[in-house]
Amino acid sequence: MNIHIISILISKDLSLFFRKRAIIILTFIALIFYLVLYFVMPNSVDENLKIGLYSPVSLPVFTQIDEEGLEISPVESEESLKEAVLDGSYVVGISIPADVAEKLSSNQKPTVNLYFTPDAPQEIKDAMEVVVRELAYMQTGQPLAFDVSEEILGQDMTGTLIPPRDRLRPLLAIFIIMMEILGLSNLISEEIERRTAQALLVTPTTVTDIFIAKSISGIGLAFVQAVLIMTIIGGMNRQPLIILVSLLLGAALATGVSFLISARARDFMSVLAWSFPILIILIIPSFTVMFPGAITGWVKVIPSYYLVDTVHRSANFGSGWGDVWVNLLILFGFTAAIFWAGIYILRRKFQ
Amino acid sequence: MSIRRMGVLLSKEFLYGSRNYILVFSIVGPIIISIIVSLIFGTWLAEKPRLGILDEGKSQLVTMFDDLNSIDNLEYNTISDMKGAVEIGAVDIGIVIPSGFDNSVIQGERTEIKAFIWGESMAKSRTIIGVTIANTVRELTGQKSPIEIETITLGDKASIPWNDRLLPFIVLMTVFLGGLMLPSTSIATEKERRTIRALMVTPTSIEDIFLAKGILGFILSFFMGILILVLNKAFGTEPILLIIVLALGAVMAAELGMLLGVYVKDFATIFTIWKSAGIILFAPAIIYLFPQIPEWIGKIFPTYYVTQPIVELSQKGGGWADIATNTFILIAIDVALIFILLFTLRKKQYTVTGE
Repeated sequence: MNIHIISILISKDLSLFFRKRAIIILTFIALIFYLVLYFVMPNSVDENLKIGLYSPVSLPVFTQIDEEGLEISPVESEESLKEAVLDGSYVVGISIPADVAEKLSSNQKPTVNLYFTPDAPQEIKDAMEVVVRELAYMQTGQPLAFDVSEEILGQDMTGTLIPPRDRLRPLLAIFIIMMEILGLSNLISEEIERRTAQALLVTPTTVTDIFIAKSISGIGLAFVQAVLIMTIIGGMNRQPLIILVSLLLGAALATGVSFLISARARDFMSVLAWSFPILIILIIPSFTVMFPGAITGWVKVIPSYYLVDTVHRSANFGSGWGDVWVNLLILFGFTAAIFWAGIYILRRKFQ
Repeated sequence: MSIRRMGVLLSKEFLYGSRNYILVFSIVGPIIISIIVSLIFGTWLAEKPRLGILDEGKSQLVTMFDDLNSIDNLEYNTISDMKGAVEIGAVDIGIVIPSGFDNSVIQGERTEIKAFIWGESMAKSRTIIGVTIANTVRELTGQKSPIEIETITLGDKASIPWNDRLLPFIVLMTVFLGGLMLPSTSIATEKERRTIRALMVTPTSIEDIFLAKGILGFILSFFMGILILVLNKAFGTEPILLIIVLALGAVMAAELGMLLGVYVKDFATIFTIWKSAGIILFAPAIIYLFPQIPEWIGKIFPTYYVTQPIVELSQKGGGWADIATNTFILIAIDVALIFILLFTLRKKQYTVTGE
């Protein structure tokens, strides 16, 4: 192993990568795009149903109910209520008629108006009807004939739910890292097809030097971009060291996959053909974070699951080494196996 | 320019292009993405509470829950299955309805429902599920609602569900994936393999080559656009107008693809451009996703003049009067692009062919 040769090879790879100004500018634009995507997503979770209530008479259950998820605000007039609903202040406006008490006491059914915006989904309208009807049952003192015993599974996150944009963090991290598979695979497959790798081997450069140089270039390119994005989107605010380690392992995993692909691919077209199915598979685990429950336990056979899960738990919940060490160990195992397999196959191709 | 030579080149593109990965991707990709995007955004943003049910007896509640629109229900056979589903967030709350529950509540005997709550479920989801269960049990026991409810929708704006908002994005992506990527990658491949130089020693002109590839892109883009509209049942009341707009959009995509082919030397650069500069193409569709963003911003981007007529015709029930101005602008853009293409082709002939 010759450090001088390795550094020359790395600078050659990087200069090849950076030679095309258009690619640099556009890669930069891509990073901006990811950031825009992140920042346009909602930065908070609206956990409560904001309800406006116009009631000319006092209905204690409606105004004093202490139910999680319900936020009922009194409004002075029916007109104000309609305006507030239209400007989006409330998901529904409840208008109680002035004769509600008389009608209820005389066993008549008063009509309660519910105001919605035009874009309110039908399920919300139905849900609000159910909520108001239940409040009316409670107001008229009709008890329920059953009890509910509750058990919270997992950490109760009420009031501290993760906003949709933060659920994107693992997806962005993995997307940036895995997209580098394309660039690196193309770089290596070109060297194989143009036989520049074989040309290098007639110099004092060894196969080991080439692999170390390629590994450093590949890991470096993927890692730096991922760290940059994660820093900007606040993914490094909690447990930065764990995030750095997991991104580094992820970058090494992507590099190992690139070695495997470039051993098979002949040109950029075949790099794409091989890369896309692999990319799709590797990106699947990030959907477990974005859409909890959408994917079941089988997702754990995909190596990138351990990267996604670690980034999600550390960046969004602040999980420490004690919580994620198993993940990191498995990710390391997968990375080592894929990296070794990639080097083994590519070495045979070089020779 | 020779029509016959263009026809020969086009038939070659059809014959050998079918082996092209991009061609396959342009056909399969939009269909898969259409399905995935609809599923993802439809599900993610709907926030409909999900209730898991384990019925230990034969409770009528299960069928009553099935009829409700305010929540989604999933039934489980074992408690471990349901707890597992709650733990991963497949349902917000999982309830166990004990055997004999219906008889107990009807006879007024106190009984109990066991509820497992997902820690990350939203408070409003818990509330909606809670009151829905309470309401349904009251219905089961024959309690009469003390009030009548009248639902009133305010304003005169039409409601646009998320799936519909996403349609322009999917259509644009479909039209431009085939229309732009296919000609540009095909030209870049010919440049890389130097077959374009071989063609230039025949009577074939550079315009023949480019237009043959552009026509292939147009055909693919046009028919895929129609297919996506059919799949999304979005043909509106003016299908002929919609097809004309799609055709004009496909022309724009193919022209941009050919222009890209003039300047770009290799496949990697095209892919990088698609990866990043795609936002310029899709900006009007992204703006349409968020009605809070002023519509005039979208007008800056040329694809707005494809998006607006498609939205107007497929979703708002509009007619020619509603799209005329923008369609004329789209035609003007298409004409301008073809002149720019021919001009740059002549100016950059050396770059393109290496001759």
